[in-house]
Amino acid sequence: MAASGNNEVFAPWKDRDAVPLIRIDQITKRFGDFTAIDNVSLDIYPQEFFALLGPSGCGKTTLMRMLAGFETPSEGRITIDGVDMASVPPNKRAVNMMFQSYALFPHLSVWDNIAFGLRRDSQDKDQVAARVEEMLKLVQLSQFARRKPHQISGGQRQRVALARSLAKAPKLLLLDEPLGALDKKLRQETQFELMDIQEKTGTTFVIVTHDQEEAMTVASRVAVMNNGQLVQVETPEVIYEQPSSVYVADFIGDVNLIEGSVAALGEGAELAWAEGRASLIGQLGAALSKGQSATFAIRPEKIAISSDEPLDRRNRVRGKILDIGYLGNLSTYHVELPEGPVVKCEVGNRSRIERRDFTWEDEVWLSWSDTAGLVLAR
Amino acid sequence: MRRLLVAVPYVWLVVLFLVPFGIVLKISLSDIALAIPPYTPTLDLSEGWTGFKAFLSQLDLENYVFLTSDDLYWKAYLSSLQIAFLSTFFTLLVGFPVAYAMARAAEEWRPALLMLVILPFWTSFLIRVYAWIGILSTEGFLNQFLMWTGVISEPLTILNTNTAVYIGIVYTYLPFMILPIYATLEKMDGSLLEAAEDLGCSRMQAFWLVTVPLAMPGVVAGCFLVFIPTLGEFVIPSLLGGSDTLMIGKVLWEEFFNNRDWPVASSVAIILLLILIVPIILFQRNQQINKEADQ
Amino acid sequence: MKIKFATMTAVVALCASSAFADEVRVYNWSDYIDEALLEKFEAETGIELIYDVFDSNEVLETKMLSGGSGYDIVVPTGDFLQRQITAGAFQALDFSKLPNAENLWDLIKDRTAQYDPGNAYSINYMWGTTGLGVNVQKVTEILGEDAPIDSLELLFNPENMEKLAECGVYMLDAPTEVIPAALTYIGEDPNSFDTDLINKAGDVLLGVRPHILKFHSSEYINALANGDICVAFGWSGDILQARDRADEADNGVEIAYNAPKEGALMWFDQMAIPVDAPNPEAAHKFLNFIMDAENMAAASNYVYYANGNAASQPFLEEDVIGDPAIYPSAETLEKLYTPVPYPPKVQRVVTRLWTKVKSGI
Repeated sequence: MAASGNNEVFAPWKDRDAVPLIRIDQITKRFGDFTAIDNVSLDIYPQEFFALLGPSGCGKTTLMRMLAGFETPSEGRITIDGVDMASVPPNKRAVNMMFQSYALFPHLSVWDNIAFGLRRDSQDKDQVAARVEEMLKLVQLSQFARRKPHQISGGQRQRVALARSLAKAPKLLLLDEPLGALDKKLRQETQFELMDIQEKTGTTFVIVTHDQEEAMTVASRVAVMNNGQLVQVETPEVIYEQPSSVYVADFIGDVNLIEGSVAALGEGAELAWAEGRASLIGQLGAALSKGQSATFAIRPEKIAISSDEPLDRRNRVRGKILDIGYLGNLSTYHVELPEGPVVKCEVGNRSRIERRDFTWEDEVWLSWSDTAGLVLAR
Repeated sequence: MRRLLVAVPYVWLVVLFLVPFGIVLKISLSDIALAIPPYTPTLDLSEGWTGFKAFLSQLDLENYVFLTSDDLYWKAYLSSLQIAFLSTFFTLLVGFPVAYAMARAAEEWRPALLMLVILPFWTSFLIRVYAWIGILSTEGFLNQFLMWTGVISEPLTILNTNTAVYIGIVYTYLPFMILPIYATLEKMDGSLLEAAEDLGCSRMQAFWLVTVPLAMPGVVAGCFLVFIPTLGEFVIPSLLGGSDTLMIGKVLWEEFFNNRDWPVASSVAIILLLILIVPIILFQRNQQINKEADQ
Repeated sequence: MKIKFATMTAVVALCASSAFADEVRVYNWSDYIDEALLEKFEAETGIELIYDVFDSNEVLETKMLSGGSGYDIVVPTGDFLQRQITAGAFQALDFSKLPNAENLWDLIKDRTAQYDPGNAYSINYMWGTTGLGVNVQKVTEILGEDAPIDSLELLFNPENMEKLAECGVYMLDAPTEVIPAALTYIGEDPNSFDTDLINKAGDVLLGVRPHILKFHSSEYINALANGDICVAFGWSGDILQARDRADEADNGVEIAYNAPKEGALMWFDQMAIPVDAPNPEAAHKFLNFIMDAENMAAASNYVYYANGNAASQPFLEEDVIGDPAIYPSAETLEKLYTPVPYPPKVQRVVTRLWTKVKSGI
């Protein structure tokens, strides 16, 4: 997404010749008895917008702080641009960080905050001033240069923090929950601004977030983390469409999960899920063998709802409408199957005058294509 | 009801500051007399308005003129200012590292450390100053200890010198320096220092460029809290100081008690107050700025 | 209506008088009485005794001159008493209520009359001298066996003081005590009001000033007793107290008190009744009680000060009446002088001179 302007698809991780900017090599970090990062290896390429996604306590912040130099790995090696970071202190790394709290210096004006890092490099005054002006323009805050941080809004502070961390033109910019303090609307706007700036500056961004929507929106690749380990590292599309595990499928977006066992393996996989019912057919999302217990994962928007039995589809189940949610752009139906599971199904509201085909307690058919679902290891 | 509440601070100001100030000012314009009370004129309200006018006509600035006739007074003011400045400086020198260490200590330790700073207040101030007599005297604990360790062979004369006064003032007023500095340092966001490092500062640079400026409101508050009472300090110099420790508090005491000259003593007090008003106003302004910055 | 009003006033007056009738408030120096006497007074008279203490004449005088102290008995020193009488702070005593006044010692009465003409306002409680407290061992070590420990030479001769400086010399922070002594040393009238002479005495003091560790009116008790200093010019009772403390501590410090042989200042603490005393009736009862020979003797036996009560002397213990530091010989008594209060102008010269002596400014 970061390089969507190019016709060529931006995917250096698929290019065998591409040289990663960051190599995280078998990193482990322990705090006392607690293992925050458990043997993680990861390559991040130049100009990537890379997201570390996971619930709080999954280790994503620790991993980022190790990149910035605020934590040292217990084991393993981090190299940035080919240089081993083991003995490089934070102030000597070509890495800048935008803090979750923004960490703006309250005693300095917006201008001086942005100039802070530049002045440390003993650049001459005019150079510093030019760069600060450039940054102010980039984040559209030129008219607020003389204000103190407590005199501007939360969104403006966020942009000052961004400008400050970009001012030194770092090779790598780390963003720790950069939008967490903003309200939803502002957050969405800012996401696109961030992408825009990333594209303009060509800086490699690593963002830490617990918000899957944010990660999906901004990132070229997303690393889903859990319990100090990487669960899946892929582009947002792949993460969404082909999650490698139930955990990822469940963490990213809405998903219906139906338990069963592998009945047959062929082009796809068949999952036996209830006595006397036809198996569910989907793509094989993980290495499984016949008879193994597995989970069938199907996104709600991929399910069609009808009153007549859709005989043309192999995946069809019958149930009773339990609940209807009208969300404006779409409607959600919760359908209870006689076998037990409640399946969620989303239907877009394309026409303004909605045809209320279904109502509570209606018997309906749910169906989906053979390739819509995934059979995943439990 | 709300008006009443708003009035409280003003009543406070009038009753506890302006009225006493008015009385002292009035005495400073009077003349010494051997009577009860020992000055003249006194206000006789039974005479009504004429009595009041007669009373006013007898007031004059004679005592203030007298203060300029003897270099003792301005020397005492200067010496007090010097002692107050230096003491404040030394208190800051000791207090800042203590406050800094407290603010950097593990969170669970901080209440205990804070308690330790406040603990001395549970004992009488006078007793604590007396304890220093025991520590600093020629045969005192400090000299015994230093001679025992062999650092010195002859006891040091510390008690009854200005050094002892500085020690006493720094000791007594240290909590007033530590607490405001600690308060500002403690609420400082730790990520500010990381941000400074991230932007290329060494630890030392981060301390000077971030920690120190952010601690300034606390430092300023602490300095005023030490400087203002120290300027008029009487107990510490008279207990720990020597005969050549000249402070305006002692001069005031002598005017009042030895010379029984309440009018001159009052003039000395009024001038001391005028000297103090400048730092007090600066202090108030500093508090005001901080309050605005917090909002 | 009129009757009713009168009755009410009477009731109020009755309440007021009954509230005061059974208590007497005494303001005396700290550590200056045997507390058993206080209980005895309450038992004998049924009057409740409220006993407060002070430790400087200046503090007392400030209360007296401010008026409305609320005390029935106060105990200023002679020269302070005189000034306060002039200021109108005291009421004349009613000797018809003081039959024990006949016990008073004429010799002392003659002297206190200087402050209180005709002894109309006050009676003597205790008296003493101002002199030299010496750590005998240290001083003889420095100045030799013939050290002038009973002479002003010890204090005012710079040669002696220069040597004594190393072991520490304290002086009373009381110009009205020290300047008369310096005048005595140069052979002048200790009570002179002549400011030229007073400045001459100042020169003597300025000569020894660099060798004086501290001017203070009470710390020398501890300092002497602990062995921190070796000479103190102070009040007899205080130095005797230091002597006793050193004995009790058994720290090898031996303190001696001597009134200077050239002449010493003799001071008197006088009991008087403030002009606005709430209960002068009870105050007279207290004065009469304290002038009882046995009671007065008990007080002296307790505080180690001489009193102005001739009849009490048979009841005094031998270590009080027999100690020349407390009851000087008739010959020494001859040489004791009594200070007179300075007029305000002279007082200012004295205070200013004292500041110069203490701080060099």
